[in-house]
Amino acid sequence: MSPLLEIKGLHKRFHGVEVLKGVDLSLNQREVVSIIGSSGSGKTTLLRCVNLLEEFEGGEIILDRESIGYRGTGSGRKRLPDRELSRQRAMTGMVFQGFHLFPHLTAAGNVMLGLRKVRRMERAEARALADTWLAKVGLGNRADHFPGQLSGGQQQRVAIARALAMNPKLVLLDEITSALDPELVQEVLQTVKALASEGATLLIVTHEMRFARDVSHRIVFMEQGRIAEEGPPAEIFGAPKNARLVEFLRSSRD
Amino acid sequence: MEPSSFLNELWMARSALGAGLICTIGVSAAAISGGTLLGLLLGVSLAEGPMPLRFVCRAYVDLLRGTPVLVLVLAAFYVPSTFGLNLDALSAGILALTLFCGAHVGEIVRGALQSIPPGQTEAGRSIGLTYPQILAYVLLPQAFRAILPTWINTGAELVKASSLLSIIGVGDVLLKVQEIIGRNFLSLDFYMLAGACYLAINFAIEQFGKAAERRLAPQ
Repeated sequence: MSPLLEIKGLHKRFHGVEVLKGVDLSLNQREVVSIIGSSGSGKTTLLRCVNLLEEFEGGEIILDRESIGYRGTGSGRKRLPDRELSRQRAMTGMVFQGFHLFPHLTAAGNVMLGLRKVRRMERAEARALADTWLAKVGLGNRADHFPGQLSGGQQQRVAIARALAMNPKLVLLDEITSALDPELVQEVLQTVKALASEGATLLIVTHEMRFARDVSHRIVFMEQGRIAEEGPPAEIFGAPKNARLVEFLRSSRD
Repeated sequence: MEPSSFLNELWMARSALGAGLICTIGVSAAAISGGTLLGLLLGVSLAEGPMPLRFVCRAYVDLLRGTPVLVLVLAAFYVPSTFGLNLDALSAGILALTLFCGAHVGEIVRGALQSIPPGQTEAGRSIGLTYPQILAYVLLPQAFRAILPTWINTGAELVKASSLLSIIGVGDVLLKVQEIIGRNFLSLDFYMLAGACYLAINFAIEQFGKAAERRLAPQ
């Protein structure tokens, strides 16, 4: 079986500075992979490239046997038109560090927007699905609250419901607990663990090492735009080989 | 001047005044609706459009905002005729006010759109919305809330500016009042009445604005 996500030789530069220097990574269906590494190592940029929020100069991203973002190769390579990009973006779901809920819509409204406008569902059908997902993230009784009336952890769980309700093939979680107060981190991580145990395919960028270890099938350590080491959690945390990884793990334990 | 004679003259001038009021309200309403539409297009282009379009819109907005309304009104009345296009006073007046209002609303909309954090657009993108959908369901609803007070203000300014149309012969409240004064010489009374008319219209607009703000107040 071919992998669900295949990233080959990904290169990305910001204003002449190369932030991804040839990243190869593949992900099977139902696999949970966490990317760790110090800030500036390119983890978030990698995720944003997969969700097509960033353009990239070299390499290829294949999702479900479809090349993402571009048509053709070499000098004939062209960015896909906006409509195609939107369709491909809907194949992945993204949860952001800063939640980015729509403040003018209720929790249910946030989840319903994509269902109505992208999946073209009827209002009642979309509402039912939104209620189901909000209940799943433990917010069944907050469906009609606006983001401003919810705590950070609750907002982030609404954002998870908004991404998951679209039934994406792959879910990208970008440091989703970094903006939360410490006592709210666990409720969000529990939600993600539940998703993982239900067989969602997750690509996670996180600074929560214990969580990464518990939830992931595989850990990827990124360093200066490259993957420096990858392997099962037990190996990465138990017997790290790369010197920078050893250092990184020591500093993140403090 | 005895009050009885003012009331007498007022009663005799009632239909002229009524026509003037309707004209002022109608012209203002037309210019505000047209200008708001134009302003939306301008604001979106200024905030999100490609470079050449942004440049053209910026030039338009700066030019219009930097020109006195009276000059715009006179220009709208006299310039088209040199190209063989004859606009009557009413059309020329509405055109001038619409273009003026559009420039102001455009600037307001641009500011509101640019103050929305980029994460909102990214969140819309990530669930697969196309750019026009993001604009319609994510950005503009948030922008509307932010611009409401300033937009209401622009509307009130426009009602007052519409009095300038009396100069090119549009039969608004001011022109009607001037005609009435020409007949009865009750200048103080009737100019005060004209002032009261504008005050009343703007008071109504302000109340409407407050009601709308309450309705849209963020939770």
